[in-house]
Amino acid sequence: MEQEMFNQRTDLSQLNTAVQQIKETLGKIIVGQKDTIDLLVAGLLADGHLLLEGVPGVAKTLSAKLVAKCISATFSRIQFTPDLMPSDVLGTAVFSPKTAEFQFRQGPIFGNIILVDEINRAPAKTQSALFEAMEERQITVDGHTYLLEEPFMVLATQNPIEQEGTYRLPEAQLDRFLFKIEVKYPSLEEEIEILTNQHQHKTDEQLKEIKAVLSVEQVKSLRATIKALFVEPKLLAYAAQITHETRNNKSLYLGASPRASLAMINSAKAIAAMAGRDFVTPEDIIKVATPVLAHRVMLSPEKEMEGLTPADIIAQIIKKIEVPR
Amino acid sequence: MRLLLILILFFSLTTARAKPEQKPVLPKKSIVLKTDSSKVEVRKIDSQAVKTYSKQKDFIYDDVPPETISWWQRFWNWIGNMLLKVFGSSIGGGLLKYILIALGIGIVVFIVIKLIGIDFKLLTGKSKQLEVPFEESLENIHEINFDEQIEKALQNGNYRLAVRLLYLKTLKRLSDHEVITWLPEKTNQAYIQEIKNENDRAEFSRLTYQFEYIWYGDFSIDKQSFEPIHQSFHQFNLKKS
Repeated sequence: MEQEMFNQRTDLSQLNTAVQQIKETLGKIIVGQKDTIDLLVAGLLADGHLLLEGVPGVAKTLSAKLVAKCISATFSRIQFTPDLMPSDVLGTAVFSPKTAEFQFRQGPIFGNIILVDEINRAPAKTQSALFEAMEERQITVDGHTYLLEEPFMVLATQNPIEQEGTYRLPEAQLDRFLFKIEVKYPSLEEEIEILTNQHQHKTDEQLKEIKAVLSVEQVKSLRATIKALFVEPKLLAYAAQITHETRNNKSLYLGASPRASLAMINSAKAIAAMAGRDFVTPEDIIKVATPVLAHRVMLSPEKEMEGLTPADIIAQIIKKIEVPR
Repeated sequence: MRLLLILILFFSLTTARAKPEQKPVLPKKSIVLKTDSSKVEVRKIDSQAVKTYSKQKDFIYDDVPPETISWWQRFWNWIGNMLLKVFGSSIGGGLLKYILIALGIGIVVFIVIKLIGIDFKLLTGKSKQLEVPFEESLENIHEINFDEQIEKALQNGNYRLAVRLLYLKTLKRLSDHEVITWLPEKTNQAYIQEIKNENDRAEFSRLTYQFEYIWYGDFSIDKQSFEPIHQSFHQFNLKKS
């Protein structure tokens, strides 16, 4: 009855089919990790860059590669190492003896989906090379600006900063990631399933079978659909309040930027669309609040020593704010 | 030139020769040691004086238990020490006394303000409650006269608001019957999960769906489409009355 009454204003059938196909594709290889897969798909639809964090061996890189495989787009992989230079990422001008001129040779950043593996093992100088590309979808070398092709998405993986040989990413760069997705250890049952699949050589076969389910044009179209979804003004105020409270909270040394509020609304729209709605509810905002905010805020030293995490403080903030109803 | 250098080198070598060993020079007269023949006076300690000294407080080196001071005195000592730490020795005893009095008055005023419940931003650093910029947040479902408000909304043709009030009324009923615990920060899904009875949960879930589409989704609603929604809310609330 309700379906008839609330005829959809926006046709989300294509989006729902695509989401289902991507989830099925990822689900064939990745055992468990339902929340991670949901956020990966939401990030793809919300036109954001994603940072996957987890200890070694929890399928961060595999997840990122699978998302890339789901789209028939150009894919580049950059392994971030301590000696990587900005020109290794962006490209460099090379002298051509034939023309007696310098010609720009594009770096691996020129692509639709860029997998930056172990992003926090490169120095700040190389990290900075990504700033312009991630935010403005362009790079500037030797005074020339080169536009990057849409869709442009950076999927980065990193080990927690407690691990050997890693550095904390600059705040400016962290702010450019839509989500930080924490990839956790699998449960015992999931681990047994991983071993069974591996033992039966299922994983290798399934990896070979994976085919792209979305074209570049389809991705652009789905993103445009999501941007047009309805958000009640009270919910905009709700998202802004959550972000604003991070700036006044005594447990936080650094609060989130307005870019975080924008990210929260954009990704809440993607979550709503994935649920088959063309409008956002408070639950959608709450669902994305921690992945959007946790990497953008910094704990005060006292709270860090107490063993609290940014996610704990964000949960406290959400509990303090009244849900608009 | 080269010849000159050779000559200089030759003559310099002739002057560089070892000196004969020199014998130590001894004094001619021997030193005479004088013996001290003065009389040694042996002094004895006066045992009476020792006894007298041993009774004096200054010469008792045993561990003396600390003087017992009241907690009030300790508090003021602590305040004094803190002030001395902050200002060093630049403040005299008189000034310190006035600072302590001012501090005491300040503490009393603060306690009084806290007791009567005034929430001063200046004193607490930030407000107790977050300021919520929309008027709905100021509502308390236990203070709203729902029937009156719904009637008013229907008279104005504001069916969207009427659905919202119906939903809030339902939440109040569920809260009154202790089916849910009303808290402003809880989401609709949280309330659905709280309902233990499966039929009630399914029915309330349907009402929530309707409310969300109309309120958050801004779906247009007229008198005709409002009627079945009104009926479903009414029937659910009847069961809870």
